[in-house]
Amino acid sequence: MSRSQEISLDTVRVRKKRKNKDTWAIIGFIAPAFLIYGVYVIYSIFMTFYYSTFSWTGIDANMVFVGLENYIRLLQDGVFWTSIQNNFLLVIASLLTQLPVGLIMALLLFSPIKGMRLFRSVYFMPFLMSTVAIGILFIFIYEGNYGLLNTILGAVGLESLQTAWIGKESTAIWAVIATVCWQFAPFYMILFRATIVGIPEELYEAADIDGASGWQRFKNITLPLLMPIIITSAILSVIGSLKYFDLIYVMTGGGPNNSTELMATYMYKQTFTNFNMGYGSSISFSMFIIAFIVTVFILLGDRTRRGNE
Amino acid sequence: MINKKIFWLMLVTIMFVFAACGPSDSTGTDDAPEDVSGDTDTETENSGEDAEIAGDGEQITLNLWHIETGPSEETIEVAVERFEENNPNVTVEVSQQENDPYKSQLSVAMGGGNPPDVFHSWGGGWLKQFVDSDQVLDITDSVDASLYNEAALSVATFDHNIYGAPVSMDVVPVFYNKDMFEEYGLEEPETYDDLLDIVQTLSDNGVTPFALANQTKWTGSFYLMYLAERIGGPELFNEAFERSGRTFDDEAYVEAGRKIQELVEMGAFPEGVNGMNYDTGQSRQMLYTESAAMMTMGGWLVNNVRDEMPEFEDKLGFFLFPSVEGGEGAKNHVVGGVSPVFSVAQQTDHPELAAELVNELASLETATEMANNAGSISAVMGVEYDDPYIQEMSEVLESSEAMQTYYDQTLPPELAQVHLDTTQALFGLSMEPEEAMDEVEEKAEEVLEE
Amino acid sequence: MIKVIKGIPLYLLAIGILVVTGLPFLIMTLTSFKGQMEFMTSPWSIPKSFSLDNYMLLVELEFFGYFANSLFVSVVSVFIVIIIAAMASYPLARLKFRLSRPIFILFMVGMMIPIHTTLVPIFILTNKMGIYDSLFGLIGPYIAFALPISIVIFTQFMRDIPKELEESAKIDGCSHLRLFWNIIFPLLTPAVATVAIYNFIHIWNEFIFALVLTNSSQNATLPIGLREFYGEFSVNIPGIMAALTLGSLPLLLVYFIAQEKIVTGLAAGSVKG
Repeated sequence: MSRSQEISLDTVRVRKKRKNKDTWAIIGFIAPAFLIYGVYVIYSIFMTFYYSTFSWTGIDANMVFVGLENYIRLLQDGVFWTSIQNNFLLVIASLLTQLPVGLIMALLLFSPIKGMRLFRSVYFMPFLMSTVAIGILFIFIYEGNYGLLNTILGAVGLESLQTAWIGKESTAIWAVIATVCWQFAPFYMILFRATIVGIPEELYEAADIDGASGWQRFKNITLPLLMPIIITSAILSVIGSLKYFDLIYVMTGGGPNNSTELMATYMYKQTFTNFNMGYGSSISFSMFIIAFIVTVFILLGDRTRRGNE
Repeated sequence: MINKKIFWLMLVTIMFVFAACGPSDSTGTDDAPEDVSGDTDTETENSGEDAEIAGDGEQITLNLWHIETGPSEETIEVAVERFEENNPNVTVEVSQQENDPYKSQLSVAMGGGNPPDVFHSWGGGWLKQFVDSDQVLDITDSVDASLYNEAALSVATFDHNIYGAPVSMDVVPVFYNKDMFEEYGLEEPETYDDLLDIVQTLSDNGVTPFALANQTKWTGSFYLMYLAERIGGPELFNEAFERSGRTFDDEAYVEAGRKIQELVEMGAFPEGVNGMNYDTGQSRQMLYTESAAMMTMGGWLVNNVRDEMPEFEDKLGFFLFPSVEGGEGAKNHVVGGVSPVFSVAQQTDHPELAAELVNELASLETATEMANNAGSISAVMGVEYDDPYIQEMSEVLESSEAMQTYYDQTLPPELAQVHLDTTQALFGLSMEPEEAMDEVEEKAEEVLEE
Repeated sequence: MIKVIKGIPLYLLAIGILVVTGLPFLIMTLTSFKGQMEFMTSPWSIPKSFSLDNYMLLVELEFFGYFANSLFVSVVSVFIVIIIAAMASYPLARLKFRLSRPIFILFMVGMMIPIHTTLVPIFILTNKMGIYDSLFGLIGPYIAFALPISIVIFTQFMRDIPKELEESAKIDGCSHLRLFWNIIFPLLTPAVATVAIYNFIHIWNEFIFALVLTNSSQNATLPIGLREFYGEFSVNIPGIMAALTLGSLPLLLVYFIAQEKIVTGLAAGSVKG
């Protein structure tokens, strides 16, 4: 009976105890969040799928089980495809503008310009405004006759570009997308800015010694360190774009002629205007599936990127 | 193994939570025991007060949802006060809602089993949707049908049963700027060709003939309804709606669509008409600033003008949409609608009281105040108008030989949506008339012939 | 930090963005001082006189009651979210157990739920719980829908905290609760700032739950109050702008006062990825 054996027995006992303790800790820590989340969100996803298998107006007790018929109908619904297309347009536009513009804005806040406090404060303002306010303002900005945008275009001699921005099917979706990007770019700006603030100055000093140019400093130091937050932002942006609703609802209501319809606005229309709760639920469940698949792809992409590093 | 345990534990907890919030149907009954104890306390004091206290003990609350604003909202509140005076043990919780979200909120409340006792509607297909879902109380026995204008009551009558009482009505004329008509030497048109001449003259002078904000869709629908009626006659819509003759893809509808596009191409409407919003005042702004000369709009425009630019009222004239040569319709057939209509929810705990509240809301007194304060034509017979404008409007309505109710409120919501969407597309020149009408007819076959 | 562009082009770019981001807010504020007619005839001009009429109207319309309700709901919800999201993230980020990944994904999935789909189930649930038309009825859904993003942010932050910290604490026989509260949570300040701001802004402006789950005006939040002004003002756009300006003020104040703290806080832990 040596002392070492005694010790090892002891550690085993401690570990076991530890493990037990861990289990209870895990339950205890997760439970509050899980309960609230389970009640409101998981239950709702489940109910959404459940409703989607019925033909139901949503206002009475008469629910007819139709299996997956709503989904089959959905696949043949032209407006639904238009809305998916618009959603992906919004996703791509958001990725290509919100993130880069947010990054440029963040970088500007580190450049040698005077009145920094003003720039810093104003740049974030769009994200702080209520969506209703933004919607109403931009309706007037895009107005075809006396709108601000056309007034400005007229003043600088670009009358030929003047148009009824949200009144025409060809321009409406772009006008709305531009507004969405305007609203959200500042959010990414602040995420990027915070990350840049945290980059240790020594890294740049070292680069200066090596005689790196501004672009090289950005490419070799800033960008790689920003990568994790860029991935997070991309996920947020994609998911946000896929379930986007507010501004479209305020500004165009999905029109003209469904040209700005998104999945969420179409779902809302079907559920609450046309009294098709079952069909509307099948749209939201599809949104959920689409968003899920896209997110999995981004995460997989991110994993391979990390693996390659 | 342990992980599985965690999983099950959570599952069980969730189940428990659901079970816990399941059977708690004790709403409303909680108040009763407390009040009983209150009674015993006061009994020793004065037996004379007892009756009153007992009355208080049965305090009943009714919920009323409406969407009126400004003067008509005040009228509703006054009517509610009258009702509360007559029924001292009843409190009415009045909740004023905004037009668009109201529709979704009511359907959520109905579906969720907690609707207001008395609610607003426009009658027609929207109300019928709730009637078909057994959500609206049949109040045929509590309402005196003889009080109301027959056409107005008909929007809330389904299968000879009355499901709502109407308060006010509106007609849709073409409003115009008298000064501008004079300036360009124009006169109120008798025929559609006259109207085309007016449009031509105005646009030649750089004025937008019609102010129209068609993002709102129902605004543009007026033109289609009028043109279709003028071409196909007053029975066209009814035949299509009741599936008893002509259909929504009838040549008359296609021709109406063509005429709209003809007007669009003449420049009769503002640039980007489909992006302008009536609710934010964009079309009225054109009227006020005299960059547009006419507007086809419901009589409530007068109310808007008084609110927004009172001095403009002097310039405001109106005529009825002119007849089309060779068409079956006539100039004195009007498009109009009924609003508000008040109905009782099937789920109410106090059906008699709620019906009584409806009677008060749709009483001669309320309708008179509504007419004289808010400028709407009464749906209750026997109202004397103080307001010459409304007097004139109501005369138009009374002398009209046929009234076409708004399609979007008459048709079932799903079909109404297709009608609105395709009409908007016609204005945007992004759909051929044949194509648009086929689409409406296709949906009609699906929805109406089920 | 960027030296690619310098001098005048740099200023042009910075000022260009300044105009684009700031102008709408400026217009909103300026419009709120206009009369209705003035707005109708010249929507983009600077107001002739700064009239406070629209603001006086707001005071009459119980604006501050809505304001207090919004503040209550936002603060309580954000507070609870921070606590329980951080707690839930602790085992997900720091402890190894088999269900860690599935549970994390389950939470993340919540970000993809369009809230409109949940309206009817949540409405029914709220009724059954007997908290329909109360501010407490709003807090539940607000917390639930804020949890996914908060947990994602917290978990990412916590994963980056060096393991050695708690290894030493564990050897000292420190319990998980103390470990979390005394060591991990204080390190989370930057993440807390992000979570707080993000959720506060969303909850402050939230509309659809507030619409459906409350009914009486004493329980209305600011966005619902704003909607009431719509009815009251009909198309008095300047009046609506006054309401919207006043409604955005708290967010602006918080941001202006705390922005440096927020950013430095955010920065402290975000780079280690």
